[in-house]
Amino acid sequence: METGTKISAIAHVSLIGWALFGGTFRSEPLPMAVQDVSVISAEQFAAMTAQREAPEVPSTPESLEQPPEPVEEVNAPEPTQEEQPRPEPVTPSEPEPEPVPETVEVPPEPEVVEEPPVLEQPEPEAVVLPTLPGPEAQPRPADRVAPEPIAPPPPEAQIDDVESPPVSLDEGAETQQEQQDQTAPEEATDQIVTEAEESDKTAPTTSPRPRVRPNRPAPPAEPEVAETSEPAAPAEAPSSSEQDAIEDALSEALRDSEPSGPPLTSGEKDAMRLAVSRCWNVGSLSTDALSTVVVVGFSLNRDGTVVGGSLRLLDSSGGSAGAEKQAFDAARRAILRCGARGYDLPADKYEHWQDIEITFNPERMRIK
Amino acid sequence: MNVLSKFAALGALMLIAACSNNDPSALGGGAGGSGAIQPGSPSDPRSPAYFQQTVGDRVLFAVDQSTLSPQAQTVLQGQAEWLLANTDYTATIEGHADEQGTREYNLALGARRANAAREYLISRGVAGNRIQTISYGKERPIEICSTEECYSKNRRAVTVLTGSTLG
Amino acid sequence: MMKLLTSLFVGLTLLSAPVYAQSGPLRLELTEGIIEPMPFAVPSFVPDSPAAAQYATDISRVVAADLTGTGLFREISSDAFISRVSSFEAPVQFADWKAINAQALVTGAVNVSGKRLTVRFRIWDVFSGQELGNGLQFAGTTDGWRRMAHKVADQVYSRITGEGGYFDSRVAFVSESGPKDQRRKRLAIMDYDGANVQYLTDSAAIVLAPRFSPTGDRLLYTSYESGRPRIYVLDVGRVKRQELKTQDGTMSFSPRFSPDGRSIVYSLIQGGNTDLWKMDLASGQSVRLTNTPAIETAPSYSPDGTQIVFESDRSGTPQLYIMPANGGEATRISFGQGRYGTPVWSPRGDLIAFTKQNKGRFHIGVMRTDGSEERLLTASFLDEGPTWSPNGRVIMFSRETQGASGRSSLYSVDISGRNLRPVRTPDGGSDPAWGPLQN
Repeated sequence: METGTKISAIAHVSLIGWALFGGTFRSEPLPMAVQDVSVISAEQFAAMTAQREAPEVPSTPESLEQPPEPVEEVNAPEPTQEEQPRPEPVTPSEPEPEPVPETVEVPPEPEVVEEPPVLEQPEPEAVVLPTLPGPEAQPRPADRVAPEPIAPPPPEAQIDDVESPPVSLDEGAETQQEQQDQTAPEEATDQIVTEAEESDKTAPTTSPRPRVRPNRPAPPAEPEVAETSEPAAPAEAPSSSEQDAIEDALSEALRDSEPSGPPLTSGEKDAMRLAVSRCWNVGSLSTDALSTVVVVGFSLNRDGTVVGGSLRLLDSSGGSAGAEKQAFDAARRAILRCGARGYDLPADKYEHWQDIEITFNPERMRIK
Repeated sequence: MNVLSKFAALGALMLIAACSNNDPSALGGGAGGSGAIQPGSPSDPRSPAYFQQTVGDRVLFAVDQSTLSPQAQTVLQGQAEWLLANTDYTATIEGHADEQGTREYNLALGARRANAAREYLISRGVAGNRIQTISYGKERPIEICSTEECYSKNRRAVTVLTGSTLG
Repeated sequence: MMKLLTSLFVGLTLLSAPVYAQSGPLRLELTEGIIEPMPFAVPSFVPDSPAAAQYATDISRVVAADLTGTGLFREISSDAFISRVSSFEAPVQFADWKAINAQALVTGAVNVSGKRLTVRFRIWDVFSGQELGNGLQFAGTTDGWRRMAHKVADQVYSRITGEGGYFDSRVAFVSESGPKDQRRKRLAIMDYDGANVQYLTDSAAIVLAPRFSPTGDRLLYTSYESGRPRIYVLDVGRVKRQELKTQDGTMSFSPRFSPDGRSIVYSLIQGGNTDLWKMDLASGQSVRLTNTPAIETAPSYSPDGTQIVFESDRSGTPQLYIMPANGGEATRISFGQGRYGTPVWSPRGDLIAFTKQNKGRFHIGVMRTDGSEERLLTASFLDEGPTWSPNGRVIMFSRETQGASGRSSLYSVDISGRNLRPVRTPDGGSDPAWGPLQN
């Protein structure tokens, strides 16, 4: 008995010691070294592949001698698992079918085009009451979170950032119009709905709910309350509307000295802001990038399209250098995507919107 | 050391039998009970089968609890008397939990229940070195429905006999 | 009043920055964006030779599946493609990809010579026509083609999101089969996406709750193979296991490595009471960390190794506590309704994932390390045992269904609460433990 214990103790200590001591175990290549993967430097790779910035010089693959590879001889593969003879060609983790809008709640009468919630900008005087969910309407889970909830699009509609009515080639029609598919904004909720919230009714919880979208539609405003002359843009931070008011007042005061037509109204500015925000997708940003505020400058042509190469990062704050890059990339994509067909801005005020600087502040989009 | 591991193996054996939850007489098979009537049968008061069926080999617990109810104490009193009378046997008390709870917490909870039963037996005079405990947490339910009816049967401490006579 | 203030402000601004108002650019601030999966395209990688054709197709499929699986990206089907990529070197026709709204594009080529496999790839931001980072090449063997694909996908993911990747990682778990009252459990390991499952133990003994060593080469777990729960360490490569001796006659379970891999923290049951202990692996010596009549279990180290979060019912119900890694006074951090268990510190250090039981339901949730900002991500009959992806962005856990036919399987969810999805395993699965990124 004693001997057994001793042997056991010695065996244990030596195994643990062997497992822990020194580099042997840890610095040794993994036993699965069959999958030894190595990386070559960007320079080597760049040298190896074509210079695609100069397409007029056709790159001939033959000329691209592979530099001596820094990869060591790969060990003879030693299949480590008997049960798994060969990699199966089919990935077992085939992606779940995406909950794309087509599969979601087809409107009862397909012919009828559903009216999407108000997206166009209010006139400066007009007060827009935000569309309200029904009293007990729960936020629905959708794949997309946007400033305002968007109903599922008509089934035939293609998802597009710009909404357009269907145009079909009418035999008798005189005006020639290109056949065009109906497009509609993609369905969206105005906040992330977790499973825990979906089942809220069965499992009420006192824990604070995630509120990624802090500005839910406000409670119905009494009509007479709507006396303020400022546009009650629902998606606006109080601070920025105040800023707008200031800027408006500022511009008004300076109207005489302006080189051309009147400055943009706050409604027009809001429209521009909303136009870009519709393409500002922060869903694929790291939490670090979501803490990064970037200021992006760019110029527009008279037709509202972005001047090639004018996009630049002017300033950033709050995040690491790496995060700044991703935050800028996302902002750049937003400006380019939603401006692909030109931003709709008043032509007579071109001087006022020729150059634009946008501060992208994702603070309110963070995962909290 | 040797004896211990033998006990453990026996305990595992008996556990399997106990888990099948019927035909407890199979347990007593071959046991050298010395009663007058059918040694080893449930009617033999010295047989493990008698212990299991007549004395009662298990006590149940309330949700999250390891305190012994009056009924549980009565059962354990019977167990203690039996063990005092049949000194050839030792026992392993298995503690269990229902599935409502996390795995590791339930393992600890099962140990608490088994220990509560053990302490009671000791307080009734059974020598501590005759009683081992083990916890299975929620890993070995005997009832598998997901309602309180089943849960209440799974929250248990089962006294499983081992002994030289079985070896 | 407001007007007065405004005009006052305007007056001040006029004095200080008249130039800005006159000819400066239009300045706007955006605080509202959208959150949606980013559309991307991965045209089949170009094979350098017929021998590489199947690998090229398979690798591009796995890259696409990895990205789609995050919920942050949406693949554009190749049916919609306008241009074909038949040469890795040819200039990218950005207009064609813009037209189908592909925002990111991954092009690649695959070379096979003998058992040697190389993958070259580039990542493009379609709308700006720019390359994201530089092209890269990975080299390995044909057997490891899935890992090469995961490495490519990790690059794409991190260059677009700014977050570290997690695709080239493995998950240890308990494979389960059979009904609830005769469940057979085996320790298993697989790629993060459920591929390449390998069994590490047979089903003779109950096994519970594996945990990876910091480098991913060893697993700690609890097994009943000696008849009672004891702690084992298993060398993953050699599939060799060894019991870690704790006090004779006790039950020990819930083992976790310290971040430096030199010690473990675990639960030991003595006289029905469960406390936390710490074992120095070199000496095999254990010291006690907690000493209360309550249950203390499910420990998890902070990534810097200075603290331990654990579960204790010292207040009457199981709640979460944090204490110094060498023991000492513990601070309770969970204060919501219900019972809290299985806390797991995120690899980034900022969050703690946990299991919560409340009003007959189970949730996986996260909270800050001070217990604030609790968010519940899931709800079901029985969810438990969260584990973090190496980048701290995704949580995997086990979900058991109700009733006599109930079974346990693995799920994953983004920490935003989006993208809840099952992880496919050959049988049932429980107690997942996500390993580190592989080298």
